[in-house]
Amino acid sequence: MMTEKEDRVSADVAGLGAAVERVAADLAIAEEPAGFAQALEGEASPDQRRD
Amino acid sequence: MTDWTIQSLAREITARKISPVEATQACLERIARLDGRLHAFITVDADGALAAARALETELAAGRSRGPLHGVPLAYKDLCHVPGLPTSCGTKTREYFTSPVECTAAARLRDAGAVTLGKLNMTELAMGPFGDNAHHGDVHNPWRPGHCSGGSSSGSAAAVAAGFALATLGSDTGGSIRLPAACCGVVGLKPTYGRVSRAGAMPLSWSMDHLGPLARTVSDAALILEVVAGHDPHDATSSRRGVPYYQRLLDGPIAGLRVGVPENYYFDEIDPEMAAAVRAAADVLGGLGALVAPVRVPDPRTLSDIGNVIGRSESAALHTRLARERPHELQPAVRARLEIGFHISAHDYLQALRLRSRLAREFIAEVFAEVDALVVPVIPEPAPALEAVKAGSVDEFVARMGRFSRLTRPFNTLGLPALAVPCGFSSDGRPLALQIVGRAFDEATTLRLGHAYQRATTWHLEGPRL
Repeated sequence: MMTEKEDRVSADVAGLGAAVERVAADLAIAEEPAGFAQALEGEASPDQRRD
Repeated sequence: MTDWTIQSLAREITARKISPVEATQACLERIARLDGRLHAFITVDADGALAAARALETELAAGRSRGPLHGVPLAYKDLCHVPGLPTSCGTKTREYFTSPVECTAAARLRDAGAVTLGKLNMTELAMGPFGDNAHHGDVHNPWRPGHCSGGSSSGSAAAVAAGFALATLGSDTGGSIRLPAACCGVVGLKPTYGRVSRAGAMPLSWSMDHLGPLARTVSDAALILEVVAGHDPHDATSSRRGVPYYQRLLDGPIAGLRVGVPENYYFDEIDPEMAAAVRAAADVLGGLGALVAPVRVPDPRTLSDIGNVIGRSESAALHTRLARERPHELQPAVRARLEIGFHISAHDYLQALRLRSRLAREFIAEVFAEVDALVVPVIPEPAPALEAVKAGSVDEFVARMGRFSRLTRPFNTLGLPALAVPCGFSSDGRPLALQIVGRAFDEATTLRLGHAYQRATTWHLEGPRL
């Protein structure tokens, strides 16, 4: 028998898992976490550099 | 002294109209007189601050100035490791966080001549948007005692608004710089992920944490960013990209810049006065020549969910010992939020990290093909009453936390720079604020828009009556 607290945690975790599942269906095999930093670094403003 | 900005104080120090010691004493006296009501500080280091101010005064007398921060009193969120001072991170434990290196951002400010007044109150473990803290006292909003200061960098915002410090450092994992800045009517900048080193600061989520400044003006925030930004060998995630002279770029024209106002999500169920003030602020930018237009943005709810999976997993991993060995010390809502992270699967965590790459790339490609910046609200309503947000069950409290930070969290997942700027007051006198979101590593444009707005308006010149 789960406690109310355990129920709540399970529901929250299931909700987050479902959110991941919804958008991950067509995620490319080549996609890696490091792509995040590359996405930011690739979006540089080209001017106004100090060094 | 509540009218001081870093720039105005720096001019007076340079002109020898006021000394670093006098400026520091003025701040310390104000803290001693008023902080019993606000609870902005956890540790005030009066002796250390005065000793530093005296040394800086001696340097000035010898003809040596370190620049515009020489003798300027600042303070840091109590998750920054400053040698000689305890770092509670808002927990019950006086020295919860220790680090082999001092906080790089605080060290750079000290080296630039800033005086450290002390360490600032915060939500426990930086987990919460309201500024409540059962261990060190709830931080009260200087504009309206009894109301939220915002969090988690609650003391960082309240201290600036109350005139205790000229600027402060905060951290932002889901909105923790921008939310309190908005509640307290000051400027707060979450820079691009990797722009400012996180070394020597307590991590909540290494993938989502950002350090950044809170100040009275955008110009002062630009100055602080200029000092603290840049690669740091102690933080492998800090970018090697060069740091612009942000202050010099503030006065550039904004005519022709494309400013998008999202027509989906960001104005849904927003307090009418808040929504009207943010739209009016966009109109001000339009009046200055910016090309303001509606835009649709990729679903922010997905971004928040993905960010929550990452953030909760990492925070549970980082703070396992406290959560497992001394859970009774944690506030119930903080414990409840940490607990979720222990149950997220490795699969979901890793998928979320992979998804973040794709979502960031798609957002950048779609949105910034159309606009140079976005303008959205920071908070859905003006600072609510502390008792109202804490009322009811833990579940209700946690749900309120999620709703209050729903406009800032997506930009942590995306890692984009986001600037909170005061843009008015509600009919009962609580601050209103807009959020300007820019391209990655283009803080310069984000700050330029905020500075242009402040030059055209006077909201930032107002101060609370304490």
